[in-house]
Amino acid sequence: MTRQSRLPRPGLDRSLPVWLAAALVLLFLMALPLGWLVRVSVSQEGGGVTLAHYRAVLADPALRRALGNTLVLAFWVGLASIAVGAPLAWLTARTDLPGKGVLRALVLASFVTPPFLGAFAWVMLAGPNAGLLNTLWRRLTGLDSPLVDIFTMPGLVFVVTLYTFPYVYIMLVNTLALIASDLEEAAAILGAGRLGVALTVTLPLVLPALVSGFILAVLQALALFGSPAILALPAGFHTITTQIWSFFHYPPKIEQAAAFSLPLLLATALLLLVQKRVLGRRGYVAVGGKGGQRRTIALGAWRWPALAAGLAVMACSIVLPYGILAKAALSRAWAQPLTWSNLTLANFTFTFVDYGATQAAIVNTLELGVATATVGAVLVALLAYVATRRLVVGHQVVAFLALAPIVIPGVVLAVALFIAYTRPPFVLYGTLAILFIAYLTKELPTGYAQSDATFRGIPAELEDAGRILGAGRLRILRDVTAPLARSGIIAAWCFIFIGVIRELSASIILFTPATRVMSVVIFDLKEEGQFGAIAVLGLTMLALTFATVALMQRVLGRDMLGARE
Amino acid sequence: MPGVTMKELSKRYGEVGAVQGLSLSVEPGELLALLGPSGCGKTTTLRLVAGFLTPEAGEIWVGDRCLSSPAAVVAPERRRMAMIFQSYALWPHMTVAQNVAYGLRFKPGLARAARDARVREMLRVVQLAGYESRYPGELSGGQQQRVAVARALVVEPEILLLDEPLSNLDANLREEMRFEIRRLHEAFAITTLYVTHDQAEAMVISDRIAVLERGRVVQVGGADEIFLRPRTRFVAEFIGRTNVIEGVAESTDALARGGLRLRVAGGLSPGAPAAVSIRPHDIALAPTGAAPSGPLDNALRGIVKRASFLGDSVDYQVAIAGTDVVLRVVTPAVRRFGAGDAVALTIAPAACVTLGAEGPA
Repeated sequence: MTRQSRLPRPGLDRSLPVWLAAALVLLFLMALPLGWLVRVSVSQEGGGVTLAHYRAVLADPALRRALGNTLVLAFWVGLASIAVGAPLAWLTARTDLPGKGVLRALVLASFVTPPFLGAFAWVMLAGPNAGLLNTLWRRLTGLDSPLVDIFTMPGLVFVVTLYTFPYVYIMLVNTLALIASDLEEAAAILGAGRLGVALTVTLPLVLPALVSGFILAVLQALALFGSPAILALPAGFHTITTQIWSFFHYPPKIEQAAAFSLPLLLATALLLLVQKRVLGRRGYVAVGGKGGQRRTIALGAWRWPALAAGLAVMACSIVLPYGILAKAALSRAWAQPLTWSNLTLANFTFTFVDYGATQAAIVNTLELGVATATVGAVLVALLAYVATRRLVVGHQVVAFLALAPIVIPGVVLAVALFIAYTRPPFVLYGTLAILFIAYLTKELPTGYAQSDATFRGIPAELEDAGRILGAGRLRILRDVTAPLARSGIIAAWCFIFIGVIRELSASIILFTPATRVMSVVIFDLKEEGQFGAIAVLGLTMLALTFATVALMQRVLGRDMLGARE
Repeated sequence: MPGVTMKELSKRYGEVGAVQGLSLSVEPGELLALLGPSGCGKTTTLRLVAGFLTPEAGEIWVGDRCLSSPAAVVAPERRRMAMIFQSYALWPHMTVAQNVAYGLRFKPGLARAARDARVREMLRVVQLAGYESRYPGELSGGQQQRVAVARALVVEPEILLLDEPLSNLDANLREEMRFEIRRLHEAFAITTLYVTHDQAEAMVISDRIAVLERGRVVQVGGADEIFLRPRTRFVAEFIGRTNVIEGVAESTDALARGGLRLRVAGGLSPGAPAAVSIRPHDIALAPTGAAPSGPLDNALRGIVKRASFLGDSVDYQVAIAGTDVVLRVVTPAVRRFGAGDAVALTIAPAACVTLGAEGPA
């Protein structure tokens, strides 16, 4: 029976090229920059290794204060996000609150609103002198002192929370949607009261999501650059991110920036590790299956107060900021009442025609957005396909690497890329390429998570069925996998695009005059006090964002906050 | 029409050996059921045959072609097989006609018109004529099942593989589809490997049944052979309900357990531990005092512990006097005893089937 010619020949090891490609991508996106970051942080003039930079940054009282401020900010933002996000999630997921759809849409809007735009808006709303709310207050009461001052730590916490609580909301609303009412009713029938049910059944079930949402909110606050730069710097205090940014002011202190970046990186990694462990035990929350019905809870007389509270939050997050931006865009002097004489389109002509930097920045932003989203969507689709179909040995590592950049805050990434690509062999500083790499790295985890869900949703049996009928793997990819994955891949594209056009914290360190993007121009306009132009550009950015969100929701057939039903 | 031969196949998942030295032959044109509980390795075996998995040891031959060995595996698309999946795996973005026609795209020299004609004909065979332009999402479970069958048969495969194809259907439809699949097999006579955990399904559909336990074949044979002469306790208990009595062999045809002594069909080694299987309906019940029906039959006495009326039969649990044995007995619903009644039991020696040592043969 030994007919050698009939025996199948071993094929090429197809995992090899995939591995090479993954290793190469990883090298450019992460290993090289982070390696340089560590190396520069311990480098000594004339060679050798030193911890002097670490000693310098940790001994400096001003830097220690920045560290402390960041911790205070992150902690309070985490708590406040829970306080706002958790009740909203419960109200919209489980009760008969009127206007749930509107609230959910507004939360989505605040999720995609660039936080620094919100911060600008709140400068116009609650700045101590000209802020709209304060002028109203003075007119009403005749008092001299302002009602609120946004240029304070509480003000900063308030504004950051407005655009961070959606992280808690998303975690919680998707978890609540998984808990069947049966579980709660089972407790009720055994004699537990309403409060007892909430404390003994519901709360333990959502606790992992709650803790996880808290950590996500803290991470956002830790990594945020725009809002502290707009609100904390005028108030005279720094956070880690603004401090790292100021290291780049003349004369640049790159080594100290590196030494100051690493603690932030480690803190982020640690928090994510905790979150993973907390969520790792989530298995028991994902109860559903048969009879997994969720009955709505009647709020009774509390319906209208609850709705008013929810709308109040969304007014602070969306309605008031968007309103003041629109007003500023259309008026000669944003602080004056909107009368016919104050109405103008001059801000638009100034922004798009007269102000030199804008047009190039919009082109740059769109180019980078399209390029990053396209390359990124293809890359994450390939990586997710390889990982979910277990095509190579060590496919878990592929998934891990794709998600790893999530631990790198934008500012830290920028410092690392700045160091790595201002020196041979790769001098990319001053080109759009370095921004492209930064954006790609930063958006890789988001895009990967989206793609992973897409390919998990396509059973491998659908591909097997075609293989056995005579189609090769590539043919099946074209005939079966690609058509089914298309909407998911477009969604990943949209996620990445939205992330790129609003990116500030890495751009602010990596841009040069020739490579400015919209967010950087908005930030620069602040130095010139051009609030009208800021508003116009900000609204343009929002319009781009919401157009992309609309496209994605159309393709996905649901909203982007997560699976519902 | 070739058959399939599996020689000493092994496949591990991590530390778990899903298939361990499995050898099995499917005769040309035969429908063989791979029967076993979940985790016995039957689906792994099927996926090995399909070429989705590479064996760690052993070979798979179809006719005179070696398709799988640890060194190399012929890709699934070049095996001239077709497969029907538990989930049906219909492509939701293709119509019924496109789903069924897909495999024909890879038949060189088949003109489009001929292809369409074959699709139409096959849809007629599975009673889905007129459904060509529907999408799978618009069909019922049974109709989806028929599309999956049509898609597999239309390519005229050398080997047909089925992975629990009926487990997603409701009970009535499942029964109907059993006969349907058997009818199609008789019409096309394709060499078929059919994976199921449902013994009734295996018995209706297959020519022969291979019972799998922990990655090995424990017994192969026709449905009657497996039911009437199970080789091990595992097989006896997996195929239908049974009473297994363990004891010590007194002679080649007698088994003792405490005060119980049973004449059995034979094949025991005197002095050794032994076990026999007695099917519940092979035991006759009568009021005490009635004579046994044959002189050699085992005559026992017992007390009815529980009687359950099941409509066409009665299911008893009878404690045998002077022993710790409780026998399950199923009788026609003609004469009924109640709990606490004393009864006489009669068991023919031929009904006491000697079981081999535990574990795969």
